[in-house]
Amino acid sequence: MPPQPGQGKTPATAASSSTPTQPAPHNQVAKVIWDGSIPIQFSWDKAEAAAVGSNAVESFFFEAQRCSYFPLLTSHVRKHFVDMALHFIGDDAEVWYEYEGTPLKWHYPIGLLYDIHGLQASSGQGMNGSLLPWKVTVHFQNFPGDKLIKSQAVDSCQDYFMSMIKEADYLRNGSTKKVMNMSKSDQTQLWDGLWSNNYDRFWGMNHKLVMNDGVIARNLPIRIYLPENCPVIQEPVSPVDDKEQPKTLRQVLNSSLPDLFPLVETGPPVAAAMIHGIIPSLDTSAIWASQNMSYPDNFLHVVVIIINK
Amino acid sequence: MSSSGTPSSESPPASVLAPDAVVTTVSSTSAPAEPTGPPASPSTVIANHKKKDTSKVVVYFRAIGSVPIMKQNIYTITASNKFSTVIQFLRTQINYRPSDPLFLYINSAFSPSPDEIVNNLFKCFNTNGKLIVNYCASPAWG
Repeated sequence: MPPQPGQGKTPATAASSSTPTQPAPHNQVAKVIWDGSIPIQFSWDKAEAAAVGSNAVESFFFEAQRCSYFPLLTSHVRKHFVDMALHFIGDDAEVWYEYEGTPLKWHYPIGLLYDIHGLQASSGQGMNGSLLPWKVTVHFQNFPGDKLIKSQAVDSCQDYFMSMIKEADYLRNGSTKKVMNMSKSDQTQLWDGLWSNNYDRFWGMNHKLVMNDGVIARNLPIRIYLPENCPVIQEPVSPVDDKEQPKTLRQVLNSSLPDLFPLVETGPPVAAAMIHGIIPSLDTSAIWASQNMSYPDNFLHVVVIIINK
Repeated sequence: MSSSGTPSSESPPASVLAPDAVVTTVSSTSAPAEPTGPPASPSTVIANHKKKDTSKVVVYFRAIGSVPIMKQNIYTITASNKFSTVIQFLRTQINYRPSDPLFLYINSAFSPSPDEIVNNLFKCFNTNGKLIVNYCASPAWG
């Protein structure tokens, strides 16, 4: 197990935004996850481009942070296509993204979208990299309001992000006190750290939330994604079993999906659990995974890969 | 936050929300049946999860501040609906136009995304068998 950050309660971490950002507690796993990225090839929707007589517009290539969100890339993407041919006077909130015909939810982290629509849809077979660069289509018109949430502004992404953090806090503590007791600037530091890709800024603050001041969480913020656009599974998940022992990922998955994740495998496994594009051992402690492998929104997003139909 | 107040894309079928003045039975969906016999295949598991769950959960609306109150504030709602259905239903009940600002919170604490499943919210956040939804005309809890 990587070292658990243990120095989180020193007075030094009470730094306000007026002082320089303290380095986040050392956590190699969190750092590697934070640094995870996906090369994306953004192409302008062919029909939209053809409608303005632009048939051969160059794609825009960008290496996106897995933990980031599409709205944070929109200004770069828009600029590229405006420089090429696009005449766009709309709001950036009108811009939307699609992969193989499926609109991509802008309020999901990019890495999660890739794991669901890329890797899960190909039953994990894209892991050799054949899906990369990820080919995403950009639309500047006809926002699919029946499939995606229409935001009023790009700022909505920050609101959604903070709501997820509060929901996670509520699951852990039965209230949102831990978030609400943070100063405004400390709360803002989470989002600022995320969009400016500043690991220390983000984790310096996020560490207090996920470690929960050493108090064992009531429930772990976990969402489970089955293939084929099944409804997302989110249930109260106690971090410990009846004997107060930390649950494993297998135990957690077994309680929601007993047929796919039996407690004792009697044959080859039929399913695997993917987090951040990798398949961790199901013997991993769930609370450890929650503290170290959650997305910045504080949820552990687990994508189920069917191995054997 | 402004998100919950935005017009949601899914308008609820009129039948999904039924007044439920007397709450007697709360039929939240419980854990799936105990596995007996051989495990279901992945395709069966996926098909079962895609099925519309018709069970209902109880939603308790509470107005905050200067926002119209509802004549009745306890309803049952189909568990498999998205939270957007709750938003849309509330707007209809209090005669709010899509442009009128409206903010919804669970347990006076956080604002779920419109695409969250009501059943998930109920299972994780219900209070004595009711999902408490606070609503107000301006952001209340960040």
